[in-house]
Amino acid sequence: MEIKLKVFRYLPNNGNKPHYDTYIMQVNPTDRVLDVLEQVRADSDPSLAYRRSCAHGVCGSDAMRINGRNALACKVLVKDLGTNEITVEPILGLKVLRDLIVDMDPFFEHFKSVMPYFINNEPLPSDGKERLQSPEQRERFDDTTKCILCAACTTSCPSFWANEEYVGPAAIVNAHRFVYDSRDRAAAERLQILNDQMGVWRCRTVFNCTEACPRDIQVTQAIADVKKAINSGKLE
Amino acid sequence: MSEVIRTVAKPPENFESKAWKFMRYSGFLLIPLVWGHVLLQDIIVGVHQIDLDYVAMRWASIGWRIYDTALLAFAFAHGVNGIRQVGEDFIHSPRGRRILNWALIIFWVTITAIGGIALIGGVAKPS
Repeated sequence: MEIKLKVFRYLPNNGNKPHYDTYIMQVNPTDRVLDVLEQVRADSDPSLAYRRSCAHGVCGSDAMRINGRNALACKVLVKDLGTNEITVEPILGLKVLRDLIVDMDPFFEHFKSVMPYFINNEPLPSDGKERLQSPEQRERFDDTTKCILCAACTTSCPSFWANEEYVGPAAIVNAHRFVYDSRDRAAAERLQILNDQMGVWRCRTVFNCTEACPRDIQVTQAIADVKKAINSGKLE
Repeated sequence: MSEVIRTVAKPPENFESKAWKFMRYSGFLLIPLVWGHVLLQDIIVGVHQIDLDYVAMRWASIGWRIYDTALLAFAFAHGVNGIRQVGEDFIHSPRGRRILNWALIIFWVTITAIGGIALIGGVAKPS
C-alpha cells in the first residue's frame, strides 16, 4: 500500500526551524510505524533521529505521537491506523532535542522524586530468606508493575503540558507500585511527597494517560488509589 | 497470611487536598440542589409561569432563600475553583499563585455575600 508519511524534523544549531518532511512510500499494511521509520532511514534519509531499542514493546524507547495519539512506534501497525496518511511527531511537554528525540531528564527527575525503589530496613525474617507476601497482596499492585517508563502517559497529560513541575502520571504509577507493596515500609513518605500542589492534586482525571499507556495500565485508577490513600491513610 | 488493611500515617492536610475534597463533597450537595432547582423551575412550574407573584411567593419562604443561597455559594465555588485550576496552568510563580488564590477567594466571598444578602435579607421596596 502507498502511504504519505509526515515526520516532524528539527536539527538544532543548524539554523533549521522545526518543520515536517513528507515521504510517499510503499509499505506493507502489517508493517509497524517503527518499520516505516526504519525504511525512511534506509532508503531516503539516514539523518532521521528517533529512539528505539528492543522494538517489541518492552523497552519503552520509541514513544511518539502517531496521528495525534501517544503510542510506541513498535506496537502500532500501519493497517490499524485506518488511513494512508501518517503523521509522526515527538511526544509533547518535553524539550525536543532532535527530530523525534526529546529530553527525558525532567521525566526521570519526577520518577526519581517518588523514591521508586523498595525500602524496608526491618531485619530479615528468621529464616534469613524472602519477605513473603500472599498472591492477593501481590495482585494489589500487579497492574502498576507493568510500567516501562516510556513517558506516553505523562506526555499525554494536559496538566503536564501546562506545567512540567507536575510530577506526572508515570511517577505516580511507580509510587503506587511501592505504596501498595505489603513488604515496603516507605508508603507514608511517598504519600507525603505526592500530597502536593504538583503531586496527585494536579491530576484532573482527564484519562489521556490511561488511553495512552501501551501496557494497558489503569493509570487514572492508580492515581485515584493514591489520592484515597493520602486522604484515608488506608492502603486497601 | 492475614489480609488486614494496612494503614500508614496520613500526610497533613494542605490547601490543595482540602480544595480537592471540597470539590467532591460540595459536588454531592450540588446534585440535589441543582436538580431540585431544575425540576421545580423548569418542569413543575415551567419557565413561562415564573412571574413576579411566583418570585414573591418563593421569597416569602426562608427555606427557599437559604436553598437558593446555598445553590449560589456552592455552584459559584465550583466555578471559581475551576478558574483557579486553569489559572495555575498559566501562572507558574508561587507568589503569582498566592495572589490568584486570594483574589479568587475575595471574588467568591464578595459575590456570594452580595447574593446572599439580597436573597436572605430581601430587597427594599421602592418608596
